[in-house]
Order: sequence, then structure tokens, then C-alpha cells
Amino acid sequence: MAHTRSILRPIAFLQRDARHFQILFLGTFLLYGLLALHWDAEWQRYALILVTCFAVQALFIQWKGLAWNSMKSAAITALGLCLLLKAGSVWTLALGASVAIASKFLIRWKGKHIFNPGNLGIAAAVLLTGDAWVSPGQWGSGATLVFLVGAAGLMVVLRVGRIDTSLVFLGTFAAFDYVRTVLYLGWGSDVWMHKLTNGSLLLFTFFMITDPMTTPKAPKARLFWSAGIAVLAFVLSWKFWINATPIWALLIFCAFNPILDHLIHGEPFHWARPGNRISSNLIPIQHQDHA
Amino acid sequence: MRNLFLLATIIAAMRSMAFCGFYVAKADATLFNDRSEVILVRDGERTIITMSNDFKGDVRDFAMVVPVPVVLRESDIRIVERRVFDMLDSYSSPRLVEYYDENPCHPPVMYEMDVATSRAEVTSDKFLENKKSPQSLGVTIEAQYAVGEYDILILSATESAGLKQWLTENGYRIPETANDVLEPYIKSNLKFFVVKVDLSRMQQTGSAFLRPIQIRFDSHKFMLPIRLGMANSTGSQDMIVYAFTRTGRVECVNYRTTKVPTDRNIPLFVKQKFGYFYKDLFARAHRREGKNTVFLEYAWNVTPSFGGMKCDPCVGPPPMPREFAEAGVDWGGQNGGGQVFFTRLHVRYGREKFPQDLVFQVTPNTEHFQARYVLTHPATGDLTCSSGQDYLETLYYRRHRELEELNALTGWDITKRQSYTNDVKNQLSPERRNNIGGPWIPWKGPGGGGTPMLGWLALMGLFAVVLRILQQWPQRRLA
Repeated sequence: MAHTRSILRPIAFLQRDARHFQILFLGTFLLYGLLALHWDAEWQRYALILVTCFAVQALFIQWKGLAWNSMKSAAITALGLCLLLKAGSVWTLALGASVAIASKFLIRWKGKHIFNPGNLGIAAAVLLTGDAWVSPGQWGSGATLVFLVGAAGLMVVLRVGRIDTSLVFLGTFAAFDYVRTVLYLGWGSDVWMHKLTNGSLLLFTFFMITDPMTTPKAPKARLFWSAGIAVLAFVLSWKFWINATPIWALLIFCAFNPILDHLIHGEPFHWARPGNRISSNLIPIQHQDHA
Repeated sequence: MRNLFLLATIIAAMRSMAFCGFYVAKADATLFNDRSEVILVRDGERTIITMSNDFKGDVRDFAMVVPVPVVLRESDIRIVERRVFDMLDSYSSPRLVEYYDENPCHPPVMYEMDVATSRAEVTSDKFLENKKSPQSLGVTIEAQYAVGEYDILILSATESAGLKQWLTENGYRIPETANDVLEPYIKSNLKFFVVKVDLSRMQQTGSAFLRPIQIRFDSHKFMLPIRLGMANSTGSQDMIVYAFTRTGRVECVNYRTTKVPTDRNIPLFVKQKFGYFYKDLFARAHRREGKNTVFLEYAWNVTPSFGGMKCDPCVGPPPMPREFAEAGVDWGGQNGGGQVFFTRLHVRYGREKFPQDLVFQVTPNTEHFQARYVLTHPATGDLTCSSGQDYLETLYYRRHRELEELNALTGWDITKRQSYTNDVKNQLSPERRNNIGGPWIPWKGPGGGGTPMLGWLALMGLFAVVLRILQQWPQRRLA
């Protein structure tokens, strides 16, 4: 029936390409931040990030002769940066966005990009300019947030087959922090829960670390890899009081991906495969032809 | 036993932190710790914390316990004058601004905008007579100083029960629940900075009030431990943080940092009760944000050589090198040094919503911010001309919006304030008066003071268009 079909059309549209889901979720998070958490709506900055990501992606599409379809990946990268990256100057944002997209095409190993684009874009903006920062506290901690990010995140990671990465990372981080905070220091478990329900940590767990293109191919390697990120993030925050440590830990561990893939062989990830159609990285995902 | 109050200001798990506002009432004395103020200077790893508490009892009853990351040297501790707090408070307080409309029937040849300001009154024995040797309780006296009117001890402890017993035996009354908080701090290898007043030395200073204490240390950590302060408090406490950095704003990393509502037009009658207005506005904003938010009240570049305005409008003089020196801003001299950025944060914290100590970060964010509320006086004189009547109609609607804004910001009942709009209505000619409709404000969200509704509708429309375009993309491939 035509009527039924018209209702199902948006669902079919979402199903058709994994990235539609991501755009929807990340867009929802941005709206949640603006509407419910009263972030400053920095429209010009969001527009600049989007335009830069699109422009750099278009440049490489022309150069490498790729499908325009991959512009969706740039949209996801851009939304991820809108959510996370803050800077004094707009040029810093443009730099972060450019590095994020360009790294997918320039920093590659055996047909696979090494760094999570958004992660690298943020790191580049923060380290190279000193003018950028991330606000780990911007989401706060709360039940609504856990539900929102958790539900959306689970949908994504289950489809993309990276639930192991999310759970091992969060589980390891939670376990280490529980031992330190509750068992050793003697704080109540509410202190521990407050840390774990931080929106930035959850977003990272479900939307950044799970990028199938920048996680090791073999499941066993992924377990060590995600546990390693959790341990490093924990140590950096506990010993050195660095903020947003998962981002730095992921950056470091992504650099070891080629070695891990070399040592432990695994099936390469293909976006085209049924059931693998959702790209789960916050920033992402080169089109399958290229990735 | 003497009546004693213990104000425990806790500094630091492991290597650095500060906490303010822990009153421990002894016997039947009651004290409510309304507000504590902290000046927080962060320069690389160096942290300088100046603590001031509005202690209102007998100074003989005052004591303070501050966990510190290291055994402070005598030179790391000093006393500063209270005036630096008053000065920073008056400079950065939420402000009320007044503007005057001009009479459209008699446009002045030269109109001078009068900006007046006022600011919100935010309401803001022998020490060592041990009953038991400290060693037997696992308590070590690491150092002992006399600084200004204060006697200072630096203790380390191996377990909370021993520390608690030592403090109790020395005349302090520690709430039972403090044990749970002392333990994690001890495990974090903190020392305890214990402060009491020496009355004779206090008389020599000639000061009737307790002066703020300043400490400095180097540490990775940039935080304020607030948990100990909640040990004997069921309600919420307020803390104002005046932070100075070289680069930009200070923000909280484990709680949201939100701007307090600003640049709102409010009715004229608020002028008489601006203090109450801001107090209610803050309480409402605090509830609206879930009671677990740190509020930004002010952020400005206060570098002496900075060419721009130091505030707009200023309700107090901006801090100068003398205040910088007092606050511990070593680099803020007139002739040298780098940028000095000032941030004022206001946090209302309670046990339930603030389980973790406050952790901060210095950002490169140099965007200025101030909490500012605007009063606009109507034009005076004859307004019977046509443009004058137009003006009155606009004024009528504007006043409606101001009332709704007031209600949205503070929750004040505005139904009794209809004369505020009716006064304007009565100045209209009878025809105009009859034609004037109810105040319908299509571009305002519910409550009138919220986010413009049309903006969000436009955004959703844009989102739909983007999705639609993306839908087409798979078909458009490069040849």
C-alpha cells in the first residue's frame, strides 16, 4: 500500500546506508546539547567545519576518482568535530577539519587508513595550535544521557560488529577505576558511577573507538587493543591528571594498528558486506571502494 | 569543653587540590556555611589557592582543616587582606544596566545615553595539648608554623579513625560521615593543614575578621575537593571561584560549565530588588540545569596592557597589579608578564548531585562573558503624536515581554504586576487602546525567555533538507 510505503520510506532510507544512521545520531546529539544542555549555538563554526570537511573530501574525490557517495563520511567527520572540538580561532577548526579528512587519504597502510579521522583532527588542532581544546564536562553525567548514547551506540556497534571493542574498553576502564576509586581509595560507588556515566566517555566508547576501519582486523587483537586503550587512558588520568585521556590513548594505539594487523591476521572489514553497513566511527569511514 | 567549630578546607588528593567550606559545628552551635570564596591561580603546574570563608561565629571557635598535597613550607603560606576578595567580587558580580528611551515626539538634538549600574548583592588553649600522643593514633605533626593570626599544623595520618580521634581529642567535633571522606584523602597520601586562631596575635593585627589564607604548591592536579565540606551538610552550599590563568577561561571537566542567563531585559521595578532577583534567577537556573552544573558568571581578559574594555559596564574597578600580587598572579605586573585571564565561577553543590570533587582545566578560550541584565526607562514627556503612540504600543508589548522574561528567569508571580503594562496602555488614545491585542509573541518559546522557537524549526527543516540531499547521493556518481 502506498500509504504504508510512505511511512516506511524513511526507515528504508536509513537502512540503505549505514552512514545515514550515524548522521542521524550525531545530529541528534548535537541537538540534545543545544536544546537540553544549553550549549552556545555556534552556527558559523558548525558551518565552517562542515564546509571544510566537504571541500577537502571533494578535493580527494576528484583526485582519486572516488564516488561522491563518500561525502557522507565527511558529514559524519564534521558532525563529530562539531560535537567535540572547540577552538579560539576559526582557522584552528578549519585546520582540525582538514587534517581529519586528509589523513584518511594520506596516512594509509595496506589500503586502510591508520588514524581515526576525527581523533587525529582533534589531536592536531590541540597539539599544533594550542588554541583548541575539548570539554570532557560538556555532557555532564546522567541517566538520560546514558540511555540516549547507550541505545544509539548499541544499535551502531551491534550492526558493525564492534560490540567487543566497546565492551572491552568500557569494562576494562570501569574495572580499573573501580579498584582504584572504590576498593583502594574508599570512595562510594556513586563517585565511580559519576565518572562512568560521563557523556564524553560514552560517546567515545560507542562512536569513536569502534570505527571498524581503524580497529585491528582480528577479534583477538581488538580485545588487547581496546583493553590497552582503557588501561592507558586510566593511567594517564590517574597518574598525570590529563583530561580527555581516551582521545590520546586512542591516538597512540591507532599508530600500532599496522603492527597488530601484521602480527595477528584477521578478516578485513568491508562496508559492502550485509550487516556491516553501519560505519560506527565518529568520523569515518572511507567509502568501501577506497577503504 | 569549649565550643569549637571546625572549618575544614581540604586541599588535594595526591598532589594538589583545595577545598573550601567545611564547617563542623560543635556542641549546639549552629552555623550555615552560606558561601565560601576561593581565588584560584593556575600557571603551568603551579597552583595558588586563597580561601576566604564568611565565618560569623566567635573566632575562638574557628578552626580549619585543609588537606594539602605536600608538606607546605612556611614560605608557601601567607595571609592576604580580605579586600582583594571584595574587589574581585564587586568587579565581576552580575550587573544591572539602565538605558533610557528617547521621546519620538520630541527627538532630542543630542541624546546622551545614561548607563547606571549596580551590582547584585550575592550573599555572598593551646593548640597542641594532646590527650593522646599523635603517633599512637597514626598521626604525625609534619610541621608547625605561626603565620599572622593563625597557628598552623601540618599533619599526616595513616588512617582516618586515628586522625578523627586526634582531632576530636584536641577539641574538634568531626561529624561521623567525615570519616568516609577522610579515608580516601589519607589513602591519596594527603597531608592535613590544620588552622586555628591565636587570639593575642589577632588582636595585634587589629582586624575584626579572619583574614584569608593563601597557599601555593606545584601539582598536576587542578581541582577543588568539595566532598569534605558536605560531610555535615544536608543542604547545598555556594562557592564562588575567582580564577586567574595565562591563557583563558577555567572550566570544570567533570561537571558541566554553563553560562548563567545573561543580557535579558527585565522590568524597571526589579531595580529595587536586584539582589533578590539574581538570587532567585540563580536558584532557578540551578534547578533547570539539574543541580549539577558549575555556572560561569564572568570571564574577561584583565591584562593591564590589554587595550579593550575590562568590563561593559564596569560595576567595580578591574583588578590591577596590586590585586594580582595579592591574589598570587606572579606574572601580572604592569610592565611585564603575559596575559591575565579572569574567570568567575559559581557552584551550588550538595552531596547528592556532586559526588566527585571539582576538577578543572585551563582552556585557551578567551571569549568574554558577563552576567548582565537590562532595564530600559520609557521616554518621558508628551507622547500624543502619532509616532509617540506607535512607540507606546511597542512599549506595551515590550513590557509584556519583560514581565514574561522575569517570570521565566525567577519564577516571580507577574499577575500582580499588570499595572506595569496597563500604565502604558492608559497613555494610548482610546481607539488605539481598544485595538491593542493580547501579547502574543510568536518568536518566543514557552516562557518567553527561552530559545527562539523559529530558530529550532528552521534547524529541523535544514536537517530534513540535508537528509533529503544525502538520499539522492547514491545515485549521483562521478562518471
